[in-house]
Amino acid sequence: MSTRSSRWTKYRPVIALSILSMLVCGLAYPLLITGIAQAALPYQADGSQARLGGRAVGSYYIDNGFTLPGFFHGRNETNPLTASASGVDPDITVAEALSQVPRISNATGIARSSLVALVTSHEHWTLWVTGTPYVNVLELNLALIAAYPSSYPGYA
Amino acid sequence: MIDAIQSLIVVAILASTLISGSLLAPYVVRVLTGTPTRLDRLLDPFESAVYRLIGADPKMTMGWREYLFAVIFLNVAQMAIAFAILVGQGVLPLNPQGFPGLSWDLAFNTVVSFGTNTNLQHYAGETALSYFSQMTAIQFLQFTSAATGVCVMVAMVRGLRPGSAHLGNFYVDFVRVLTRILLPLCAVAALVLVALGVPQTIGGYVTVKTVEGATQELLVGPVASLVSIMQIGTNGGGYFGANSAYPFQNPTPVTDVLEIYLMLLLPTTLIFTFGELIGKKKETRPILIGSYGLLAIDLAVAFLGSIPAVGPGIETRFGGFFSTLWTVITTASTTGSLNASLAGINPLGILSAYMGMLVQATPGGIGVGVMYMLMYVVITVFVVGLMTGRTPEYLGAKITARDVKLVMVAFLVHPIAILVPTLAAFATKAVDAIPGFSSLPTSVAFTQVLYEFTSSAANNGSDFLGAAANTPFFNFATAVVMFVGRFVPIAILLALAGSMIGRKRVAEQSLRTDGAAFSFVLIGSILLLVVLTFLPFLILGPLLAYFQGLVNFVG
Repeated sequence: MSTRSSRWTKYRPVIALSILSMLVCGLAYPLLITGIAQAALPYQADGSQARLGGRAVGSYYIDNGFTLPGFFHGRNETNPLTASASGVDPDITVAEALSQVPRISNATGIARSSLVALVTSHEHWTLWVTGTPYVNVLELNLALIAAYPSSYPGYA
Repeated sequence: MIDAIQSLIVVAILASTLISGSLLAPYVVRVLTGTPTRLDRLLDPFESAVYRLIGADPKMTMGWREYLFAVIFLNVAQMAIAFAILVGQGVLPLNPQGFPGLSWDLAFNTVVSFGTNTNLQHYAGETALSYFSQMTAIQFLQFTSAATGVCVMVAMVRGLRPGSAHLGNFYVDFVRVLTRILLPLCAVAALVLVALGVPQTIGGYVTVKTVEGATQELLVGPVASLVSIMQIGTNGGGYFGANSAYPFQNPTPVTDVLEIYLMLLLPTTLIFTFGELIGKKKETRPILIGSYGLLAIDLAVAFLGSIPAVGPGIETRFGGFFSTLWTVITTASTTGSLNASLAGINPLGILSAYMGMLVQATPGGIGVGVMYMLMYVVITVFVVGLMTGRTPEYLGAKITARDVKLVMVAFLVHPIAILVPTLAAFATKAVDAIPGFSSLPTSVAFTQVLYEFTSSAANNGSDFLGAAANTPFFNFATAVVMFVGRFVPIAILLALAGSMIGRKRVAEQSLRTDGAAFSFVLIGSILLLVVLTFLPFLILGPLLAYFQGLVNFVG
């Protein structure tokens, strides 16, 4: 009996602190952060969802998987050798976007110059100063639908 | 090569971590020495309740053996809890995707990986772990292993400090590091990350119809709370298999820079605490110049080659520059998170990544980076003593033959833990179980397996193989390497610190260790030691690939 209680005295800090640290770091902390984030920043906390005609159509940060000829396409569908690290990269370079302009123009009848202007006005730079200029594919296509609703019947 | 703007970005990031580190250090010193702070009124009652609940006397002090056993027991007990959670997640709550429990060998690998601050991942979190597991197994061990790193560092420093009588109380150190440093910092960082676009929810994956009408699942979860401790605690294990390349973990270039900064923040802060903790402020200098000097060399090597263009393995929003920068910093701080696929980085970038993991002190993992740098300091003091014919001394204490033997063993643990299993993996043909491995060029294949064990031994966790290495051989071999690579050097360095207690100190050392000259000798001897040990292996891997003209490591 006495050895059992002395053993418990010896191991109690280790066992009790293991459980307690799990409850604090593994449950209390992430749940508290979740609560604050959901209350104060619900849009970001739920994945920065894009909306079209009132319904959620995806996240601005995740490739939306466009395949129709009338839309700009992401880089993740075509060929695994050109794939991004995440496989859901939502962006393409401006050069890649411009190379798709003729196809989109042919499919929708929108003038090439207008499409080029749209791409340019949605250009992002890494930290505004460096890297290869790029566009967010979902943002660009939603702008396309908004600017030319008659070319995209049934979407807006 | 990088242009002027990119060079400025690198300098600005390093300058801001150095400035933040020096500003944060006085507070961290107060926490580690028990000096009163304004937070006491809030936290003292909570901490006293914790000590009563766990039955630990906060006034008790420990020798090195007691401290070490408490560290190992607590870490193993925490791994056991996480193991039970991972194996049993199928019947545990907060599992909206209904993921089954992990296999025994994968769960074993995972808890050792996170319990040793390594975060090597042989699974993809988004398709394998429930919310409950991500929080109570992964985030839990990320906090405790980071806290452990700070504790063992401060214990070692207490032993080295002239006039000290003990290494402190592990339980008190552990609780205070969590409540006063890691939890508050991570809470702030997590909320900033949410504001910048990182999700934080336990509501389950969101199913949407895309613009074109296809069904898509948005893999949201408690991501921000994990990313903050993963970076601040130099853990590196991501919520997603693609780690910080996955946009929900790192949505924009702004979060990318913030996450790079967070990796360096506490390792740099702890360097600045060293002089204060040891009682000789100038002794911070060799540690700081040594670690940041070597980091500058790593960056120069990585940016010497051509930077990869946006292409295979590189995310568009980061480009080749930020992908290479992240790879260097994540290995130099032994964090191991990634914002690109390693296969997309050029061979000189991979060589630089190896240097970070082989030195482990540029600035290295949280706490342990300073310990490794102190190990190199003792070796350098000894070598300089031999060359000048003087008695080697550090912090006023004579460095004895036993001390030198201890640090040499601590140093040699690393090459043995890397090279023996690498050769075993090839000799036993265990590598053949990796899908697609046989079709890789030899230099690439060798680089990937050597990297797996280097990353494990350095408790880094970045890897080429990922879930492809979820085989019984790699799960058990890397788990053993991670455990040995973590706790054997910690044990030896605590033993060294313990043996310094009560040792006679001289007021004036014959060789000064706090000057610039010693710092440069330190950098030289670290490079010499590491290069001599690993050069043949680096030649067979990344250097051969470089001279074969491989642009990156896509096989």
